[in-house]
Amino acid sequence: MISTAVSSEILTAGIDVGTSSVKAAIIRMNAGGWKRDDVEVLALRAERIRRRDLKQVINESFHTVLEDAGVSEKDLAYVASTGEGELVHFRRGHFFGMTTHARGAVYMLPGSRAVLDVGALHGRAMRIDGRSKVLSYRMTTQCASGSGQFLENVARYLGVALEEVGPLSKEAKEPEMVSSICAVLAETDVINMVSRGISTSDILKGIHLSMAGRYIKLLRAIGATECDVAVTGGLAADEGLIQAMRELIQKDGIPMLIQEDPQSIHAGAIGAALWGGYRHEVLERKRQSA
Amino acid sequence: MRPALEEIVGRANALYEDLDFGAVTDWKRRNPGRKAIGYMPIYVPREIVHAAGMLPVGIVGGSDRLEIIRGDAYFQSYICHIPRSTIELALSGRLDSLDGMLFPSICDVIRNLSGMWKLLFPDRYVRYIDVPQNFDARVGGEFWRREIEALRDDLVVLGGEPITDDALNKSIAVYNENRRALIDLYKARSEQPWVFPTPELYVVMRAGNVLPPDEHTAMIRAYLDEAPREDREDKDHSRIVIVGTFCEQPPLGLLRTLERAGCWIVGDDLLLGNRWIETEIPTEGKPMENLSQAFIEHSTATASRYDAERAKGESLIQSVRDNEAEGVIFCAPSFCDPALLDQPMLVNALDREGISHTQFKYSEDTGQFGVIHEQAGTFSDSIRLWSEV
Repeated sequence: MISTAVSSEILTAGIDVGTSSVKAAIIRMNAGGWKRDDVEVLALRAERIRRRDLKQVINESFHTVLEDAGVSEKDLAYVASTGEGELVHFRRGHFFGMTTHARGAVYMLPGSRAVLDVGALHGRAMRIDGRSKVLSYRMTTQCASGSGQFLENVARYLGVALEEVGPLSKEAKEPEMVSSICAVLAETDVINMVSRGISTSDILKGIHLSMAGRYIKLLRAIGATECDVAVTGGLAADEGLIQAMRELIQKDGIPMLIQEDPQSIHAGAIGAALWGGYRHEVLERKRQSA
Repeated sequence: MRPALEEIVGRANALYEDLDFGAVTDWKRRNPGRKAIGYMPIYVPREIVHAAGMLPVGIVGGSDRLEIIRGDAYFQSYICHIPRSTIELALSGRLDSLDGMLFPSICDVIRNLSGMWKLLFPDRYVRYIDVPQNFDARVGGEFWRREIEALRDDLVVLGGEPITDDALNKSIAVYNENRRALIDLYKARSEQPWVFPTPELYVVMRAGNVLPPDEHTAMIRAYLDEAPREDREDKDHSRIVIVGTFCEQPPLGLLRTLERAGCWIVGDDLLLGNRWIETEIPTEGKPMENLSQAFIEHSTATASRYDAERAKGESLIQSVRDNEAEGVIFCAPSFCDPALLDQPMLVNALDREGISHTQFKYSEDTGQFGVIHEQAGTFSDSIRLWSEV
């Protein structure tokens, strides 16, 4: 067990409550540290909600990640929530999704000056500075056709496991484009494609290209055309989507570098834990000066 | 929630939600022959109404629980919401328990509402209370004394009984107790906002709109005793002051949203009329002069009051300092002239002091808080994360 009392190292937790899954992170960081070397991610956890009681999923995720990290709740200097984290009743503080994804992105990919957070419900592009401060942002509108939930629905119609979506999309020969405006119409498109005998790979690639187009548009709207872009959120793990985005920027000659990290889906939770560490320091300083 | 606290907050919530003003009807049933007098924001000297043996009833619109059917026909679209919901309350018979209505001069809309009342309800007592904007005791003070004496004389006629100085002094003492309790409540909330969440504080304070003052004071004192016994944990929120809520009241959901978004409200101007006089009023001597003097010398600073002595924003900055707030949220009703015209001057004052602020508008029937939640949350993040970096 690691004690926070013996050194300037502290332990913090971040819990990112998303629409379809709960992500949790435990980190150890040097007090006041900002660089990657100051931080060690001890454990990460992603738990799908699957119509279960959300509070129960949050509690299970938290206790499992604590176990994985080999620490107990009382060792934590700060528990931070993000996303729909108001249900994390044991949190010390809550940070907004943009704030935490930006921080997590800079931790994982320090050269990033833009973040594309693509989750189950929507996509959000942010311009950030080197300290992860959000300078501007744009979000997809309320329509779900640019979201992970839509992709998940389509995978279910096609009888494909989520893990297979990316590899299958990369095998596409002649992608079939879908409507990028409305999820309902897009789903009708997919049903038509299946009846026309279009291959699963070409359907998925068409969907990826359609979604990628929307995300590139968001990034262009915030002026992030000549910088490193970190992709975070659940869809960062979709290699088919990442490849589609890279193909589109190459085709349009946009000097943008799309990057993802194996920990990208945990960016919100890691960012929350990092900001929690920072706030712990600030509050300690205030307490001591009082 | 512990039963004792639940009972207090539950009662306050029930009073807040009762758009039929059942508490007023009950009071009249318990006090046959006595009258109830409604008043609009911001300030009326309730002591005079109380000394007449009547119940002062604060009317602050219909909140988000009243569907406006007839009220919209009386007003153009580009004014605030409170007059149309107040008319709706009256036309639907919900204010039938009121024997009279007072309209203090806060803005043109409320002034015109008093005229409409006279036309719509010719059998009821209606008075437009002209508040001085000159705070020289020899000018505004004299004017205000005459104004409230005229109110007293009207109430003598309406009630059919004299209002003695002794009765006025006793009423002033009752309201002094009420003000003291509210000051204690606000101080306690500022020190421990997680113990006294603003949505609770608000309904407890608002209960004073319909309860007799001594009963309301007892409720505040009981809440002050019970709330700290509840197991409530502090959160790492930012401390903010909200400004602009003195007349049309924000829906309760908005106050909850601000706290859920990571903002502890440690200062506000909600129902400001209840805290308009900032000191105790003497309970001996000539009560009408004392009431007048208190208004001239100890009125709180707000948008509808002209203050020649203090620079705009001075008292807001003082409130930020006193409450150790980290930022200000300008939270004003749409089309509220007094609040919105004041805002640029207050913004300038805050900018000069380097105090963070953000702003949005609401209506008493606002039902969607997603955007406000996002804005307040990112404001809280910016205060907590970037004020020192």
